[in-house]
Amino acid sequence: MAQPLVWVNDLTFRYRERPEPALREISFEAQAGELLLIAGASGCGKTTLIRCLNGLIPRSYKGELQGEILLDGKSIANLPLARISQMVGTVLQDPERQILGTRVRNEVAFGLENLALPREEIIQRIDEALTYLGIHHLRDRETFNLSGGEKQKVALAGVLAMRPKILLLDEPLASLDPASAQETLRIVRQMVDEGLCVLMVEHRVEDVLKIHPDRVLLMEGGQIRYLGDVEGLYQVVNYREIKLPASEVLKRARHDPAPPLLQVLPSVQADTKTSEQAPLVRFEQVCFGYETKPNVLQDVNFEIRRGDVIAVLGANGAGKTTLVKHAIGLLKPTSGRVLINGVDTRHLSVAEIARTLGYVFQSPSHMLFAPTVYDELAFGPRNLEHPKDQIEKEVMEALEIVNLSGREKDPPLSLSFGQQKRVSIAAVLAMRSRILIMDEPTAGQDYQNYMDFMDAIIQLPNIEAILFITHDIDLAIIYANRVALMSEGRLVADGKPQDVLKDLERLRDWRLVPTSLLQLNLEMLPTSGKFLRAEALAHLPSLKS
Amino acid sequence: MLVAWRYRERRSLVQWFDPRAWFIFYASFLASTLLFWDMRFLAFFALIALLVLLTSGVSWREMRRPLLFIFAFITFFAFLTFLTGRGGIEVYRQEHLIRKVVFPFSLFGWQPTIQITWERTFFALSQFLRVFSLACMTIVIPYTINPAHYGITFRGLGLPDKIAYAIDLTMRFIPTFGRDFQLTLDAQRARGYELEKIRGGLIAQVRKMAPLIVPVTIHAILASEDIIDAMDLRAFGVGPRVWLETLQYRLRDKLLIGFSALLFLVCLTLSFLSFGKFWVPPIF
Repeated sequence: MAQPLVWVNDLTFRYRERPEPALREISFEAQAGELLLIAGASGCGKTTLIRCLNGLIPRSYKGELQGEILLDGKSIANLPLARISQMVGTVLQDPERQILGTRVRNEVAFGLENLALPREEIIQRIDEALTYLGIHHLRDRETFNLSGGEKQKVALAGVLAMRPKILLLDEPLASLDPASAQETLRIVRQMVDEGLCVLMVEHRVEDVLKIHPDRVLLMEGGQIRYLGDVEGLYQVVNYREIKLPASEVLKRARHDPAPPLLQVLPSVQADTKTSEQAPLVRFEQVCFGYETKPNVLQDVNFEIRRGDVIAVLGANGAGKTTLVKHAIGLLKPTSGRVLINGVDTRHLSVAEIARTLGYVFQSPSHMLFAPTVYDELAFGPRNLEHPKDQIEKEVMEALEIVNLSGREKDPPLSLSFGQQKRVSIAAVLAMRSRILIMDEPTAGQDYQNYMDFMDAIIQLPNIEAILFITHDIDLAIIYANRVALMSEGRLVADGKPQDVLKDLERLRDWRLVPTSLLQLNLEMLPTSGKFLRAEALAHLPSLKS
Repeated sequence: MLVAWRYRERRSLVQWFDPRAWFIFYASFLASTLLFWDMRFLAFFALIALLVLLTSGVSWREMRRPLLFIFAFITFFAFLTFLTGRGGIEVYRQEHLIRKVVFPFSLFGWQPTIQITWERTFFALSQFLRVFSLACMTIVIPYTINPAHYGITFRGLGLPDKIAYAIDLTMRFIPTFGRDFQLTLDAQRARGYELEKIRGGLIAQVRKMAPLIVPVTIHAILASEDIIDAMDLRAFGVGPRVWLETLQYRLRDKLLIGFSALLFLVCLTLSFLSFGKFWVPPIF
């Protein structure tokens, strides 16, 4: 067998400021032309492993490093970063922060400029990398204005231009819509087939399995829990912790107890007159645009009623966030109107709308600021001038709902990402908003965490309707009772999930990629009558018998 | 969008020159203007600035908002100077009264009075011309200098690689931080936070800005960690670097640099010989 490109032996690392090692006794190897998927829950040590391989540890991140890493047969312990960077290319999770050049060509040139290659060679390599990834037309564009998928490819081009033999990808799909993610995966497969060794860290295991990784390295608590082929992974992993193909879950869930039934919006279920009441939010012929981009929203007619759990789907740039910003009054329509409880948003301040409608932004770090969790949660009610004793009650209730009671004195910024996300929801719940609106509620969380989180959200007391923006069709299948589909500023479909998502060809036209769970649900719809999660499908009476 | 670069190629006097030559001219203009308080001298600089603005190729629609904002700002402060005589003490000793305005009411026993003097009037006008010239010269820069050229421009002007690239990086990340700020502002407004309602003294106002300042700062710190990683991973700072962009001086650039040097030397000499000090027309 040929000499492995990556050879790691007994690697242990502890960050200087932490008592426990982040990695323990890691040993593995990877060959040229191999795709190794690295999976595991948040905090399991995946990113630390990547940092050891690309040399950032111990050069930029100090700590205690034991064990040995050979890349292409050479120990990297004493190599300078400049030398390592020519063997290993790394694409970080957020391309927005990795792109350093104002123009695409400057970005791709960055590493080559630092290596002081001759200008002619730099230009030749830029053209080569851009052509390889099919983005040569972006060469002179400003990087800031590129879409998420384009940014990802530009970041990749910048790394490929340095001609590494090994490529490390740290959650490359995290910020992409399904169509862009599929395109990125296609490119990864192509690079592997042409002989590159790719190590890919990714939460979206099911998506990566589509391009047939050669092996999977599953990590837990800084150690290797499993290393081997995909079939073997199915045997060791619990389908609740890692997202597996729906058919696989169906097979295995039959032997487990049926999942508990969720009490969706319990405050509405108790009330029987739901459908007779006026809509909580109503969009009438809403159009919106900027000087430079006139048709961001076109003729949108849309309602949010009591009892709705709406998933808003669509590609990046389809107008989903713009739609939601109109509901909260952050944007006002250029024509048409948005009514909240019958009142035009033009006559309401954002603060007034916030009494009815709570908006949870994608990243909690954009809103958390207070010294304690209590102050963070009291911020909204204080702005809305609730009485002091009422605020205390609201804060405590909200904390209880998100399961953070007793943490009111902790600084929110010291909590884990998942806890910060829960604080950001609680901060909105404390305002006693009746409608909860969430932008990408699952972003940045691992599968088990976000499923638990969504289970809890959907059962919140006092909430009358929920709307969430997502790229994840499966989330819409499992949790929504209505799906709104946006494409190029228009609301192109709105209805029950089983009606909107049944035409797979049309979904592809709207840049959505059908999932294995969707296909399974469509097959089983005659029996199930509605869309369900795979574990629930496994317990349908017809299947059981 | 809060911040976005408005640069594009246009028929512009600024873009006719190499950016290095233009920055040298800009620096010479700035230093020379600041040497004088004489309105007649300042009028000359204001004329040059106006000429640069009008030939910048930036349309009125593009720069209307920032220009009106800056104009209102300068006018307000020049008017304040006119009312109070603030700052003028350093350049004139005695004042000649044009008119004394006494308001027909009193506040807590104090009757507001404005002394309109020739010196105050001309000091305010001179101040206006000075700041106006500098503002006109500065405002055209983001519209006319290619953001991808800042690094190589300052490298070409003799700054080390690292500092020159830091300027490039700043240009790259200003729009990103602008967007982060907008996101935070939106997120807090959705929690009932109203920027317009902030009242109180300076410290109280800054404290009430915490919901904006803290998340934006934290984001900037987290982002900078990633940015540093990304730079390290692509061998930044290992040795002298090559710059993809190249700049070439042409005859016109050399002439502009020559003119800039001459302008500054002449102004420095004039100032040294006590020309261009504060001037009031000899009408009294």
